[in-house]
This record gives sequence, structure tokens and C-alpha cells, in this order.
Amino acid sequence: MFWENVKLALSAMKSSKMRTALSLLGIVIGVGAVVAILNLGDSASQNITKSLNAGGTDIITIWTQPDERTEDVFTSEFGNTLKNSVEGIDSVLPQMMSSGAIRSNKKSVGAQIMGTESLYFSAQNLSFDKGRAYTLEQNINNKEVVVIGYNIAQELFENENPIGKRVNFILQSGAVKSYEVVGVLAKKEQSYTMSFDNSVFIPFNTFTTKLVNNDVVSSYVVKTNKNYDTIEVSDNLNRFLDTSVGNDSYQSFSPAMITTMANEVTATLSLFLAAIAGISLLVGGIGIMNIMLVSVAERTKEIGIRKALGASPSVIRGQFIVEAVTLTLLGGFLGIIFGSFISLAVTNLAGWTLTLSYKSFIVAVGFSMFVGIFFGWYPAMTASKLDPIEALNYE
Amino acid sequence: MVKNVIHLEDVKRYYLVGDFFVKALDGVSLDIERGEFTAIMGPSGSGKSTMMNLIGCLDTATSGNIFIDGENTAGLNETELAYIRNKKVGFVFQQFNLLGKESALRNVETPLLYAGMKPKERKRKAIEALEKVGLSDRMYHRPNELSGGQKQRVAIARAIVSNPAILLADEPTGALDSKTGSQIMQLFEELNAEGRTVVFVTHDRDLGNRCRRQIHIRDGRIEE
Repeated sequence: MFWENVKLALSAMKSSKMRTALSLLGIVIGVGAVVAILNLGDSASQNITKSLNAGGTDIITIWTQPDERTEDVFTSEFGNTLKNSVEGIDSVLPQMMSSGAIRSNKKSVGAQIMGTESLYFSAQNLSFDKGRAYTLEQNINNKEVVVIGYNIAQELFENENPIGKRVNFILQSGAVKSYEVVGVLAKKEQSYTMSFDNSVFIPFNTFTTKLVNNDVVSSYVVKTNKNYDTIEVSDNLNRFLDTSVGNDSYQSFSPAMITTMANEVTATLSLFLAAIAGISLLVGGIGIMNIMLVSVAERTKEIGIRKALGASPSVIRGQFIVEAVTLTLLGGFLGIIFGSFISLAVTNLAGWTLTLSYKSFIVAVGFSMFVGIFFGWYPAMTASKLDPIEALNYE
Repeated sequence: MVKNVIHLEDVKRYYLVGDFFVKALDGVSLDIERGEFTAIMGPSGSGKSTMMNLIGCLDTATSGNIFIDGENTAGLNETELAYIRNKKVGFVFQQFNLLGKESALRNVETPLLYAGMKPKERKRKAIEALEKVGLSDRMYHRPNELSGGQKQRVAIARAIVSNPAILLADEPTGALDSKTGSQIMQLFEELNAEGRTVVFVTHDRDLGNRCRRQIHIRDGRIEE
């Protein structure tokens, strides 16, 4: 009986192709929008996760916001205090930060200038395109050496090998300091914490004693132990800092934390957008109801004949509900194709990688079936309740 | 226990039209035995169509009892009435009432489909019925590819396919020319000769005279 009804539905759809196509359009657009939004939500969140993870999920960065009360606290020794006070920390590396112009070969470029320890590069998982990191010794001995980011190397040296060449820092006072390039970083995916490609790195001690006479640390890079949950360590660290320096003197940032947050936000946003797309599905459903009512009215005579031949009300109801569901399911499948193409187009434009989730397909098929049953019910009831004699005499 | 295949006891069917009751049938009692060939005759508006609808379980009486093949139809719901129409009654209509989008074979199969029969057996029985009415070479044609007489033969095949207790025909020759009509009438006579109960509704005296028994209806009452 069920397959007979599906056959009947298909032949009814075939006999009025234009009308079927137009009434399907609503469902196709509705389901397409739901599929596109769910898939784009997934792709967006994976994309965000990917760029956050570029900075390393085991890293917590603490930006200092020193005031008169706390400027003496944020020293390089304070890093050790943090490491010893909070469980699950492998290392704490203090960093100084400044920005300025760098010149070489008469070319000049703006850069973020970081004073940091030699361990920083391995902690941040940075690899080298040319040369290597400066050593612990060079740091202790205030050597005038520099590691430059990929973009800086391109700007200043183009195809030349920068290793062994000198770059000049132009200070605010107008003085010029010349440092030797020992390493060039490999190109790195843009991270939300900072742009490594547009930075230069000099030993921490050199920075504090020779470049800028200031020893208030601008940030601490905390590398967590891999046996500990970064978010948990971050929470403990924040608690410790809140009691020792006060919560308005620092800001902590961990990619893991942001990843979790961003995923929550995109999930909520996707759900919200999908709900809006659901409204178009509702409108599509009303279209289906309309077309089914027309179909029932047009086929009154047929319904009368079927009743005379012994079709019970539930059989007639079944026939029209199956027809409505066949219609919406067809719309659903077309919608999945339509929505996938939209997702593909948008992710191509945004430069994300597309992930098509089977979840969205299940949701789409489920929704279109539900719409078919829900909006097919009333027309089907109308058909099943027709008086056999009146229906037979209908012209 | 009612033995007769059709048994009507003081059946009334009133319609409310506006503020008036129209007495379409006003106390009709009737018995038709198994194997009879009966014509129900009367002018239009006499109530003969109402009676046929009641016997065919397309309609229910305002009061009185109607027994079809021993079963009282009074108080049955739509589903139960559909079951009786499917099992006990075969309809043949003046306007053929075939399903326009289905082949002759599928048309004949439809009552068996509603009886829940398996596709293979359905097809076998439908072919058998089509052979009986002499249309086995037209089974894959749609109604619009058939002549009036052929359409009515398909309808008759459909009416007999489930071997019902009653064959109920409402002016079955009314839309046909007299020659074709006579052939259709002959087919009914053959089916009756095989022992089928045929009830024939007509206002045509010549056709009525070919039936063994005639029941005349006027103003909702029988005047036999």
C-alpha cells in the first residue's frame, strides 16, 4: 500500500510538473538555507579553531597593565613566581614589546619589536626558514642579535639571504642601533594573539638594557604542561594573579579558552540563523498545504471513485499524506544539493575549508518529512472526510 | 439471520434542504434473492438513485435497516462501510468512473489493492476479469485510449474482480449508443447467468423489460 501511494504521488507530480516545481521551490529554499547555515556554521567554527590553534593551544599569554602600584611587580623574576605558584606550568617567558621602524639596504619597514628569551621560539612552536634562534648565552650577554619574521625578511632583503646582515633600529630619540640577523622565521599562519611574520625578536636582556631602558614586562608567555588542561591552568593562574596583583592589572588570553568560547558563539549563532531559515521552511510548508488542498479539490472525483471501490478514510488520508511527504522529501533532497552549493560558494569566497556535515542532511530530511506530515495532514483529512456520493458526482 | 442478499426494512432517507425535509425514500421494504436480475425503475427524482446509494453503502439511511449479504449496515462507521463496499458490492456507473491516469489493468486491480491482496495475485485476478469482459488485449491502455463500450467493460471487470455479492449498475448504458448498450446489457445477462446478483437502475423501459424482475419507484415509495 505504501509503495502504491508513493507511485501515485509520483504520477500526480508528473502530471502537473510546473505546479509541483513551483510549490517545491519554497521547500528547496528553506531546506537549502538550513543546510547552508548549519554547514557554514561548522566551517566557520573549524576555521576559527584552526587559526587560534596556530598560536598553540597550550600557551597562555598574560598581558600586563601596570600602574604605579604594580609596575615594580612585573619583572622577569615574577615569571618564576608564577611558575612556582601555579601547578601545571612548564615555563614562563617574559616579553618586552615595542614597535618601530627597521631599516636595511635603504629600505624601511614597520615592525613589532619583541624582547624575549631564546626558549620563546620552541615554546611557540616557531620554526626557522633560515638560520636559528639566538642562544641562551647571547641573551645573558646582551648580544646585539635579531631574529626577523618572514614578511620583514621579504620586505628588507627580498631574495637575498639576510643571515649575517645587519638591520638598524631607529629609536624614538633618533638614535640608530645596528643588530646582526641570526635567524628568519618560517611563514606562520596568522594567529589571533600576534603576527609573527611582521615581528622581530631580540634577546630579552639586550632589549631591557640596550634598546629601551625599561624593565616592566609587557607580557608573560606561559607554556602549560601537556598533562594539564590549559583552561584549568589558566583559571588557577587568574585566581593567583587576582589575589597578588588585582584583576585590573593584567589580561590573560589562551587560545584554548577563546576556541571554546568561539565555538559556543558560532553554535548559538548557527542555531539562531537556522531558526530563521526554519521560518522559510514554514512558509514553504504553507505552500505545500496550499498545493495539496488544490490537489484534493481537483481530484474530488477520483477520491469518490476510490471510496466507492472500498478505500477507507485512513487509506485516502494515507495517500495524500504520502503525496505531501514525497513532495517535501524531494524538495528536501534538492534543498540539500542547493544548500551544499551555497556552502561551497561561500567557503570558497571566504577561503575556508568546507566541511559538509551529515548532521545537517539528517536535520534537513527530518525537517522536510515533518513539514510534509504537518502541512499534508489537513488536506489529507479533508480528502478522507469527503462524502462518497458528493465526490462521485463532482464534475 | 437474513438469507436474502439484499434486505431492506422500512428504510427512510430524508435530506434537509434549507428548511424542508425532502423524503427521498419514505419507508421502503424490499428483498432481493441471490442470483436475481432486478431492474429498479422510475423517473428522475423518484428516489431510485438514493436507493442504489443505500444498497451500495455509499450512503446511510435516516432510519430502517439495510442488510447486505446478511450484514446489517445500520450504525456502521465510514471504515466499516468502506469494507462492505470493497468486499460485497461491485459498482458500474453511467459515466464509467474509471481512474483516468491509470491503465485498464490498474483500474481493475484497485479494489483488490484496497482488499490488501499481494501484487502478483492482484494482477492475475485482474487479467482474469478483463478476459471475461473480452478486453485482455487492451489492459495497458488508459481510459482515454478506449471507446465508450470498452470503458464500460473495464468498469464491469473492476466490479466483478473481487467477486462481490451484488453487482450494482446505475444506468450503465446511458452514455452509450444503442448497439453498444445492447452488448453491455448482454454482458450483464451473461454474468447473471453465472449466478451473480445484478441490480440495475434505469429509466429505460426496453432495458428494464430485459430484466427478470422490475421494481418501480415513485416519490420515494415502491409500486411493484
